[in-house]
Amino acid sequence: MSSCCSEQSSVSTAPVDTLDPEARQRLEQAAIEHIDALYRTALRMTRNPSDAEDLVQEAYLRAFRSLHQFTEGTNLRAWLFRILTNTYINEYRRRQRRPTSASLDNIEEFYLYDHLIDSRVQPGSERPEDVVLQRLTVDDVNAAIDELPDDFRQVVLLADVEGFSYREIAEIADIPVGTVMSRLYRARRRLQKSLYEFAVESGIITEVATDGQL
Amino acid sequence: MDNCKEAVKRLNEYLDRELSDEEQQVVRRHLEHCPPCLDLFRFEENVLTFVGERCRETTAPPSLRDKVQKLCHHD
Repeated sequence: MSSCCSEQSSVSTAPVDTLDPEARQRLEQAAIEHIDALYRTALRMTRNPSDAEDLVQEAYLRAFRSLHQFTEGTNLRAWLFRILTNTYINEYRRRQRRPTSASLDNIEEFYLYDHLIDSRVQPGSERPEDVVLQRLTVDDVNAAIDELPDDFRQVVLLADVEGFSYREIAEIADIPVGTVMSRLYRARRRLQKSLYEFAVESGIITEVATDGQL
Repeated sequence: MDNCKEAVKRLNEYLDRELSDEEQQVVRRHLEHCPPCLDLFRFEENVLTFVGERCRETTAPPSLRDKVQKLCHHD
């Protein structure tokens, strides 16, 4: 696993290119196939479409320059995400100071479930918690993710949106697997609390509790 | 595993398919016999699926794809 995400930092100097043109072209095109995933991750990390586009371009530039260091047959997607992460840390993170992890403490487990279970109306009818999920919008979900501190937002995006394993996330973020797990679980709690709050604010919860229907 | 607490402790790893096959099986067997745990697990799974699906609706602008294509060595 150690070689899967390795990326040298000396990408700004022209590397000795040991890739033949065909292999290079093939890898470049394979890398571009991941642009949607990289862009939406960049967008949620920077919270700004223009910064996200710049970040993605910078990450691709670095990736293409260090393509000769990529071992074919290993995880190209994880490698690209690692480059995106490093680029973000180097170029963007310092500019944004946002909530710390302190805001994630003291949230009970299964927040959403526990708060919604009381609003169930009758067995067999559509479950209120499912109705709530259906009515939360893309904007609600994005806003809930945006409220998470950097490190926690990152693991949620990598695990819950992009489907990386704990081990892959550990390599991409350069943190121990145990840290991936603890950040992920705390972030999910915070996310659920935010979603619940959005549902209350937009009246979804009250409606559900009142009549149990869409 | 008759203990709900033990099952719930493994909820995240179970849903993330990070447990060993053996442990995964143990939790699955508990869920087969414990409707309240099954209900919780299903709900948590629904939330995760929901968040993932909503977020994956975002795609890169075509203009960005063009710009990245131009960064390629061969273009």
